Amino acid sequence: MDKTKKYWKGTEELNNSADFSTSKNNEFQEYLPTDEFLGDKETLENSSTSRRDFLKYLGFGVTAASLAACETPVNYALPYVVKPDTVTPGIANWYASTFSDGNDYASILVKTREGRPIKIEGNKLSEVTRGGVNARINSSVLSLYDGKRIKSPTVDGTEYAWSAIDRTIKADLKKIDSKGGLVRILTHSLTSPSTKYLIEDFKAKYPRANIEHIPYDAVSLSGMLKANELSFGKKVVPSYHFDNAKVIVSIGADFLGNWISPVEYAKQYAVNRKPENAWMSKHFQFETTFSMTGTNADYRTPIKPSEYGKVLVALYNYVAAKLGRSKVSSSLTSADAAIVKAGDALLAAKGASIVVTGSNDINEQLFANAINNLLGNYGKTLNINTPSNYRKGDDESVMQLVADMNAGKVDAIFIAGVDPVYSMPATVKFSEALAKVNTRVSFASRPNETSALCNFITPDNHFLESWNDHNPIAGHYSVSQPVISNLFDTRQFQDSLLVWMDAEVDYFAYMKKVWEEKAYPNQTASLNFTDFWNSVLSDGTFKHKVVVDEPVAFNAELSNAASSINENTSAEWEIEFYQKVGIGYGNDAHNPWLQELPDPVSKITWDNYITMNPSDARELGYATEYGEQKEANTMNIKINGVSFEGVPVVSQPGQAKGTLGVALGYGRTIGKDDQIVGFNVYPAVTVAGKSMLTYSTDVSFEKASTTYQIATTQTHQTIMGRDSVVRETTFGVYKAGDKDAFNPPHLLTTHEGKIKTTDASLWAKHPVEDVGHRWGMTIDMNSCIGCGACVTSCNSENNVPVVGKDEVRRSREMHWLRIDRYFSSEEEQKSEGDRSYGLMEVAEDNPRVVHQPMMCQHCNHAPCETVCPVAATTHSNEGLNQMTYNRCIGTRYCANNCPYKVRRFNWFNYMGNDDFAAINPSQDDLGRMVLNPDVTVRARGVMEKCSMCVQRIQEGKLTAKKDSRKVLDGEIQTACASACPTDAIVFGDLNDSETIVRKVADSDRSYRVIEEVGTEPNIYYQVKVRNTEEVQA
Amino acid sequence: MNAFSHKSIKLNLYGLLLALFVFSTNFTNAQDGEKLFKSYCVSCHYAGENVLVGPGLKGVTEKYEMSWILEWVKNSQALVKAGDAQAIAVYEKYNKVIMPNQPVNDDEIKAIFAYVDDYNANAAVAAPSASSSDAVVATSDSAVEDDNTTYYVFFGAILVLLIVISVLRKVNYSLNSVIKNGEIEDEKGMWSALVHWGASNRKFVVLFVLGIIVLFAKAGWDTALNVGVYTGYEPEQPIKFSHQVHAGANKIDCNYCHSGARNSKSAGIPSANLCMNCHTYINEGQQYGKEEIAKIYKALDFDPVTKTYGDNTTPIKWVKVHNLPDHVYFNHSQHVTVGQIDCAKCHGPVEEYTVGKQFAPLTMGWCIDCHRETKVQTEGNGYYDEIHKRLPEDLKAKYLENGVINVDELGGIECAKCHY
Repeated sequence: MDKTKKYWKGTEELNNSADFSTSKNNEFQEYLPTDEFLGDKETLENSSTSRRDFLKYLGFGVTAASLAACETPVNYALPYVVKPDTVTPGIANWYASTFSDGNDYASILVKTREGRPIKIEGNKLSEVTRGGVNARINSSVLSLYDGKRIKSPTVDGTEYAWSAIDRTIKADLKKIDSKGGLVRILTHSLTSPSTKYLIEDFKAKYPRANIEHIPYDAVSLSGMLKANELSFGKKVVPSYHFDNAKVIVSIGADFLGNWISPVEYAKQYAVNRKPENAWMSKHFQFETTFSMTGTNADYRTPIKPSEYGKVLVALYNYVAAKLGRSKVSSSLTSADAAIVKAGDALLAAKGASIVVTGSNDINEQLFANAINNLLGNYGKTLNINTPSNYRKGDDESVMQLVADMNAGKVDAIFIAGVDPVYSMPATVKFSEALAKVNTRVSFASRPNETSALCNFITPDNHFLESWNDHNPIAGHYSVSQPVISNLFDTRQFQDSLLVWMDAEVDYFAYMKKVWEEKAYPNQTASLNFTDFWNSVLSDGTFKHKVVVDEPVAFNAELSNAASSINENTSAEWEIEFYQKVGIGYGNDAHNPWLQELPDPVSKITWDNYITMNPSDARELGYATEYGEQKEANTMNIKINGVSFEGVPVVSQPGQAKGTLGVALGYGRTIGKDDQIVGFNVYPAVTVAGKSMLTYSTDVSFEKASTTYQIATTQTHQTIMGRDSVVRETTFGVYKAGDKDAFNPPHLLTTHEGKIKTTDASLWAKHPVEDVGHRWGMTIDMNSCIGCGACVTSCNSENNVPVVGKDEVRRSREMHWLRIDRYFSSEEEQKSEGDRSYGLMEVAEDNPRVVHQPMMCQHCNHAPCETVCPVAATTHSNEGLNQMTYNRCIGTRYCANNCPYKVRRFNWFNYMGNDDFAAINPSQDDLGRMVLNPDVTVRARGVMEKCSMCVQRIQEGKLTAKKDSRKVLDGEIQTACASACPTDAIVFGDLNDSETIVRKVADSDRSYRVIEEVGTEPNIYYQVKVRNTEEVQA
Repeated sequence: MNAFSHKSIKLNLYGLLLALFVFSTNFTNAQDGEKLFKSYCVSCHYAGENVLVGPGLKGVTEKYEMSWILEWVKNSQALVKAGDAQAIAVYEKYNKVIMPNQPVNDDEIKAIFAYVDDYNANAAVAAPSASSSDAVVATSDSAVEDDNTTYYVFFGAILVLLIVISVLRKVNYSLNSVIKNGEIEDEKGMWSALVHWGASNRKFVVLFVLGIIVLFAKAGWDTALNVGVYTGYEPEQPIKFSHQVHAGANKIDCNYCHSGARNSKSAGIPSANLCMNCHTYINEGQQYGKEEIAKIYKALDFDPVTKTYGDNTTPIKWVKVHNLPDHVYFNHSQHVTVGQIDCAKCHGPVEEYTVGKQFAPLTMGWCIDCHRETKVQTEGNGYYDEIHKRLPEDLKAKYLENGVINVDELGGIECAKCHY
């Protein structure tokens, strides 16, 4: 039987509900609030403004406005008093630095203009992150200008001078030292070697006190640390090399989105997802909640979170049996067939495969180690001898800290970079324990739940104001350097420690000395330290060879682990705690760019919610469709004894049946009022023994009577049923090499036979080919993992406003670049000619996903240009579709005529309207500093859209002109292309036959979206190729 | 009788128009004087009494005979050589700096001195107490206001005309009554008289009304076109910095101070430390003495006696002269380095300005016109070689029809070249 595919953006479209059918024909679905001012008859009649009055006011207004316009505005220009040599107003400076907040790590470049950091991009010189960043990292520049940051140190809520606070704390420390008391330094996992040495020196300064540094990760990986200790005698996290893996099996590890070092892994992962290479990796994912990593898997199997261990044991047994090793006891799981498939694939790629699990259970991590060991993967796809330092948090020592505090033993606690009061499970009772500590010092740079309970607040700098160094992976180093002076009266955590130990140096000098003593001898390139130091600051990174060739000896008892896993009982309902790609573990919850970034899978903004499989949802009577007029149902849910009332429920295709999912990191209670979104699930996190688990089987819920408004971008821009938007095939078909099989040209039937769409056009050829430049882009849907780094990068480059939840609900989000997420599912055509879809119910349970970044296609025959009554949108001779804001009168004809629905209308003056003050960073003087001065801030009533970063194109051309040379390939990068951690987006000059973009655009996989309408876009997409067996057309 | 009186009124009318014409011609002359002064004299003379290179010109017309002045201006050395006592005295008083012969005729010299006298009379009225700080304060009246005075004169003339007409008409009417009835009729009022007169002079009234409408339309149109156009904007600055001294007399290159022009978007106002390259030693100016230069020292917290710098620096708050709207992107280096445009093309004869002012209108039409007329500097630029190589033959021929490739032909008038 023929198989066809159906693509759907949401259950609304899949089920083709009546509402959807009407709304998809409604190109602008947004609700026009005419009733609000016209419908209220009473107000209208009571209003005393007559037509004559109106005309009078109008006349007066016009006159007043014209008179006001005649007044000469007086502007001032304040040059530097003493200009720094390196700063030229109007020219950007780039500095190498590093982002490391205990959750993400990336070596970065910071763009500054006139001394203000305005943009973060990846540092290509780093061999760890290779120029990649994610949304959280490139949005972090906004948090620097957060007006809610703590502006000066306080004691019990009163501002004090640093010197006074220093005196008090030093006195406290001396007292503690003399009586031999306990001091605890609680931080996130630190990658900084200098800070490590500093803490040792700090301990030495107060030798009689019991000082200990306790790393704490909100989402802990202590299970893996312990499993590695048991397996290899090393309590470390290994380094991973997904680029060496032909087969990747992930059991609940969202390694592209949140697990350990997603930027690094995404870069590695993408290398072998290109079908042009000799081989393409095969990716199996077993998971509960549909994660971003799961959307990229070739084979995805939804399982309950309690089954993760059983799958690992079963997989171990399957591999062990084939390799003639002894098996352990195992209980059956629901994923047997998938296990066989994954096991066979792993065996076929011994030494070039990788098994990872996101579980925090020691036993489950042990089995992942055991499988990797059996397959001989150590030293090839993962390396325990060159460990990574991203996660060091040990749940047990954190629990011990709480016990010590409760016992009244702890005299002083320093809390830096973490918010344990917010992120600890309720059962741990951290805040009660904290209250028993005498000296509670918070280094929070923004008020948080923990700082509210501390008596001393000694605010830390933002990382862009700080010096630091990092050692992410053994042998790899990078530095952070300040790119702006302190905006407020804050002091770096390390500097505070130095002051409190009466050191004569500041942290910069301290760190430089560490580098001189420890790193400088490990290199040969520079002849003196100054040269070496300057090169490190300029490159941002440093690498030296680590020679550790200890043989890896796996040495752990598995049978006990297996029986412990087998004791896990599945419950009827289980819930998994996951992290979202935007908000992560919650450190960035105050960042409006990240709140407005749609989740890669659900496409929901500004909220967390309970996810549920659509069939379950329908069975239990929860709504499965959401829109401006359609609200989500809510439930009252009790997880591990913690109750949540009226939390929204969202049906999520692909969610394992009988499971729920909920995102951590939301529901902060301290912050801007409008940013308290969602609810905090951390209190409900399971504490099993002395570790925290990412799921719970102790869950009960009931449907609540209330409804909840959800802001989703899911079905806003529909594809109108056209099948030429997304194209996909399998690796086998692609390798067979018949382009017509996987990427047939679009043909039009005419009376002269079939002709290509490019040969039939009403218009004369647009003269951009072969003339000057023709800027274009290729987007590889095979590499695109849907992470959204391009979206936030575009926001920050192009001053895209934040509109807030309410406006997103009205489909008025302003993102110039969106990532369309299409679900797809195999289906059988019932019979020839019958176009109904038989197996949709099943399809919804585990659909496949295609991520398609969509922005202005810069059509050579642009439909928007022909309908603009004032020629505000025109075509450039370089192939760009230009949008001229000052000419636009806001008819929105262009948006109506755009087949790609990529134009955005400024319904409000987002940068000035008070309604948006709480969420829009650019409304105060501080937040405005993040704006790119080369891009106009748009006013109300004008249309805007992707400009293909024309400011960067102009800058690149100008540089070439000044250097008297042609524009080099790769020299000009759009914000999205430079941010892409998987290099899915390539930008360049299509008129230059040597450019990568030209070559990719000419390749077999290239096609243009909705080609049949003949718009001739300058953006090409690459057919998605899945590494699955099925041969499909 | 009636006919005669009409004729006389008409004559009067023409006389008035003539007077108006003469008046405006005079007005143009005074304007010329200022222009001439600024083109020929300003680099060495102030209109006031301060000495620049040569003496201030205040009171010169009282001190010397006009005939002598005419000769002196046209050829001062001839007078000196001829042993003219006055000439030798002036020559020696001002350090024997030879005053170059000026290419001006007698009328023009008279216009210049008319302007100088006018100027000093105005200055005395405007700022009787601040007689020492002459040039800057007085010239702060902008060119826009000069344009308006033309209109005031016209409207004033029209008003006078109307009054005269009505008075004459009344007289005429009274006389007629006396002739007809031998007695004076009751006064019917000025308005009815005017209406009556208008009714019998329709052609004139129509023409007159049309003229007024045209005048108003022209005024409205010009005003509308000038909204937001600040040509001649010449705000008072915190420091009385004179381009005329720096760029004119001392011939300092524009790029020395505005170094950003070559490689950046903004030409930049020099930082105070750059001033110190010269002003560490030059601490007294010819015009304002130490007062103005001390402002730089204050900004830098510099002690001119000990030549040491302190920490208490304060930036100088210059008034921005050229203000482009936010939605326009302009890059100096594109024009200066790549396009090799002379600074003066947009900024005018800066070396003559005592106060920085806006020369070009900075309107979009002005930009576009230049982009249409200006040739792209393709020679020796590898970037354009590559672009040229890619051009198909037919386009090459089309662009080179007039021998050059103009900016607009390479897309220089497209929206997104300046608006993004």
